[in-house]
Amino acid sequence: MSAVEPADSAGHAADRSGFMQKYGHFLLLAPGVIWMILFLVVPLLMMLYVSFWTQSTFSISPDLTVKSWVTFFSSETYFGALLRTLRIWLTVLVLTFVIGYPAALFIGQHVRNKTVQTILLVACVIPFWTSFLIRVLAWRPMLGKEGAINIVLQKFGLISQPIEVLLFTELSVIIGMVQIYVVFMVGPIAFMLARIDDSLIEAARDLGASSWRIFRKVIFPLSLPGVVVGAIFVSVMVLGEFATASALSGRKVNLLGNIIVTQVGSLKWAFAAVIGVVLTFVMAVVIIGLLRVVNLRREL
Amino acid sequence: MRNFNFLKAGLGFYTALFITFLYAPFVVMGILSFQAGPEGGPQFPIIEWSTYWYQHVLGIAPPSRVAPLPIAEALTRSLTLAFATMVVSTVLGTLTAQAFRRHFKGSGFVFYLVVLGMMVPGVLLGLGMALVADQVGIARTWWGTAFVLHVVYTYPFAFLVMLAIFNRFDSSVEEAAWALGVPPGRTFRKITFPLIFPGVLSAMLFAFTLSYDEFPRTLFTGGSEVTMPIAIYGTFAVEIHPNLFAFGVLTTVFSFALLSVYGLLMAASVRRAKTKGIGVQEDIE
Amino acid sequence: MMEVRALAKAFSGVKAIDEFSLQVHADEYLTLLGPSGSGKSTLLRLLAGLEKPDSGSIWLNGVDITTQPTHMRNLGFVQQKYALFPHLNVIDNVAFGLRHRELDPVTDPARVEKRVADILELVGLTDLGGRMVGQLSGGQKQRVSLARTLVTEPKVCLLDEPLGALDANLRERMTVELQKIRRALGVTFMHVTGNEAEAIAMGDRMIVLDRGRLLQVDPPDTIFTVPATIDVARYINAYNILSGTLSDGRFTSSNGAFPVVGDVPELGYYAVRYDAAHVLAPGEMVPDGSASMSARFIASEFMGSQIIYIFRRIDGGTFEVVRHLSREDPASYERDQQCTICWHAADALLFDVKGRLVMDNSMRGAA
Repeated sequence: MSAVEPADSAGHAADRSGFMQKYGHFLLLAPGVIWMILFLVVPLLMMLYVSFWTQSTFSISPDLTVKSWVTFFSSETYFGALLRTLRIWLTVLVLTFVIGYPAALFIGQHVRNKTVQTILLVACVIPFWTSFLIRVLAWRPMLGKEGAINIVLQKFGLISQPIEVLLFTELSVIIGMVQIYVVFMVGPIAFMLARIDDSLIEAARDLGASSWRIFRKVIFPLSLPGVVVGAIFVSVMVLGEFATASALSGRKVNLLGNIIVTQVGSLKWAFAAVIGVVLTFVMAVVIIGLLRVVNLRREL
Repeated sequence: MRNFNFLKAGLGFYTALFITFLYAPFVVMGILSFQAGPEGGPQFPIIEWSTYWYQHVLGIAPPSRVAPLPIAEALTRSLTLAFATMVVSTVLGTLTAQAFRRHFKGSGFVFYLVVLGMMVPGVLLGLGMALVADQVGIARTWWGTAFVLHVVYTYPFAFLVMLAIFNRFDSSVEEAAWALGVPPGRTFRKITFPLIFPGVLSAMLFAFTLSYDEFPRTLFTGGSEVTMPIAIYGTFAVEIHPNLFAFGVLTTVFSFALLSVYGLLMAASVRRAKTKGIGVQEDIE
Repeated sequence: MMEVRALAKAFSGVKAIDEFSLQVHADEYLTLLGPSGSGKSTLLRLLAGLEKPDSGSIWLNGVDITTQPTHMRNLGFVQQKYALFPHLNVIDNVAFGLRHRELDPVTDPARVEKRVADILELVGLTDLGGRMVGQLSGGQKQRVSLARTLVTEPKVCLLDEPLGALDANLRERMTVELQKIRRALGVTFMHVTGNEAEAIAMGDRMIVLDRGRLLQVDPPDTIFTVPATIDVARYINAYNILSGTLSDGRFTSSNGAFPVVGDVPELGYYAVRYDAAHVLAPGEMVPDGSASMSARFIASEFMGSQIIYIFRRIDGGTFEVVRHLSREDPASYERDQQCTICWHAADALLFDVKGRLVMDNSMRGAA
């Protein structure tokens, strides 16, 4: 009798664990997936849905119409904002790559001491500990007519008149964005470069390859996943931007993000939703394009 | 070889310039935070050096026409929100990453669903959530609608950090514990968790920082009780004063302190791992 | 005690374990020999519950444990790379299972301490209890890993290449110690190895596994003298194997034709144990009842108590001859010297074309 008891309880526990083995996986995934569906997928679908609603002056009603869409594509202001957003995004993307890559190359490839490498990377990240908005605002006294840059340049006698195009122009928006987002390009690239095995480069050098050739044939291709990840980060952030533009352009440069904020401010929900859907579409094309170059999952 | 060194020196010099570029606004902000007040503005030249704006931020300056920053309420809200976001997104991220240790059908879908959370621009998500809240008829609050969006944003980061940690984790120690008769749940608590703790800490740090500084999502969904970034964003419309810069310097110093604590914790954990985990492989006998 | 019935497991269509059945007895040392990729690690993981079988069942003392999770099985599992808990010291590593297991945990600290101290003494680590496992040598880690498993008193202890990561010296010492520890505790060991010497030296019984199939289970001396198939003969690394056919009552191959002793309908392979052959001295005649072939000397290897001569056969393969030095002095040959190797025809093992043993000495005696 006593021999039956333990075997029985063991069998029972096995059933319970069998349940865990079968559904445990599902239980692990469920909270995250449910959260994302409720608070990510549903809002995005809602946005798509509302973009077809009827907009009256201060309210919206769920009568489906394409009026808001027609307005968007027929208005010079809004379509112009789309083009401006794309132009600024591309400019910032190229600049962050061009400016960031050499620094990443130095940190990831030429600094071989892990501690120094970490210190340099941390040094790049520290400015992030200041609120994003304050960092944006700090560009105003930098770029202004009586700003730091003009003062320094005048002091060295490089210019006689202060440069006025620095602030409250598209240029100031681009400068601000590049400075803020360049680190998102440097980080992933430096990470990929630091992973390259030294012996690979040694081997290439022993085979008599020139520095440039090694860079072109070995280093750059291996750093490409980092470039793509960096490009995804920068693209996502720049395409959804509105704060930098409104702080540094004096409201002269309107990106799609700015228009959404203004439309929401004047309760034009349906119209804001149209712009949101357009922006989502642009974003999706950019990210899917970039993900074709590199498999994000494999690079972890 | 000389060519190579020349290149290296050049790149080093460039990197120094690059870091200067990153820090320039920061330095300007630091200088201007010592502008005279309350009449001095956020621009050069410095009228007179003073700590007026610091006193203003801390609420000990005499009243003036410049409205004080709503530090007491807004900052408390931001810190509370960041803390809650950190806890929830780290737990979610760890659970999901744990599930990803085994291959399962639909893993690609779940992966991109989660990663989508960090890829959708905040302004879009804020708009979508505001629309949903409007239709469902729930009030928009920083602890409700804004909080869930903060988690949507930071959970993918925590997930990716934990995924990377688990990819480098040797699961044979878990199998060893199971074979000793220890059930999976207890094995996770006693073996897995202590070993992945440094990673969990990074995930938490990530989530906290991102949430603390978040504003596009909060802008549409936070309701009337503002968080710190929204309070700062509010000053965009009106005139800005050097009190913002003083506040920036203060929070940066505070963050530094926090980072140092984190750094010390990590260093201690690495040191412990060195004496405990790696050790010497040759025979000491 | 433990019974495995027709266990099968495939990974993406490739069979790792194929209809494997086995009876494991109480208190025995079982070794499992197989080349890498033979599925031996998979078999252990199936038994431990770390992999799910596609079909078949595993029984422990009359209970079907096939679907039980690992922690309910009470089977010890000692991993190849020890898998010690890096954040715990030696005592906590060893006490871990006792304290935290689901079934029958030991909650009394004094009893845990006593049992840990006992087992550490058994494996000879009494003085190292307070060390972090990172500060241990390979051999010490091996012992902690063993102690950690044995202290939980498993019914069967599975060991996955437990000596694989140790250097030769330590390996030899651990061989003796493993047997001693097992005997002291009376627990059944199932020891997986890729090393035939280890399998032969340690096991009460020995299993030979190939491509997921069980080829033979027998005491090591039986496997050594009477390998059931040509593959077994190959894996135990003690036989020269020639392939050919039976014609005119002789085994005929490209290396020559050898007399066949015993009545067999057909032949595929012919095996001569390394130490059953000897090299004829110049001028010496081939004795009656012996087979002989000529081969080119390549090298010799002096192994202390014995010497191995390696020859190149006519068909290009090698032929090894082992001579025990207690019986004779080492001979020396010139490289590429043509020699005649001979053996008693009755010592040869004969296999059919499918590789099954069809004639050995015992069968000849019975006939």
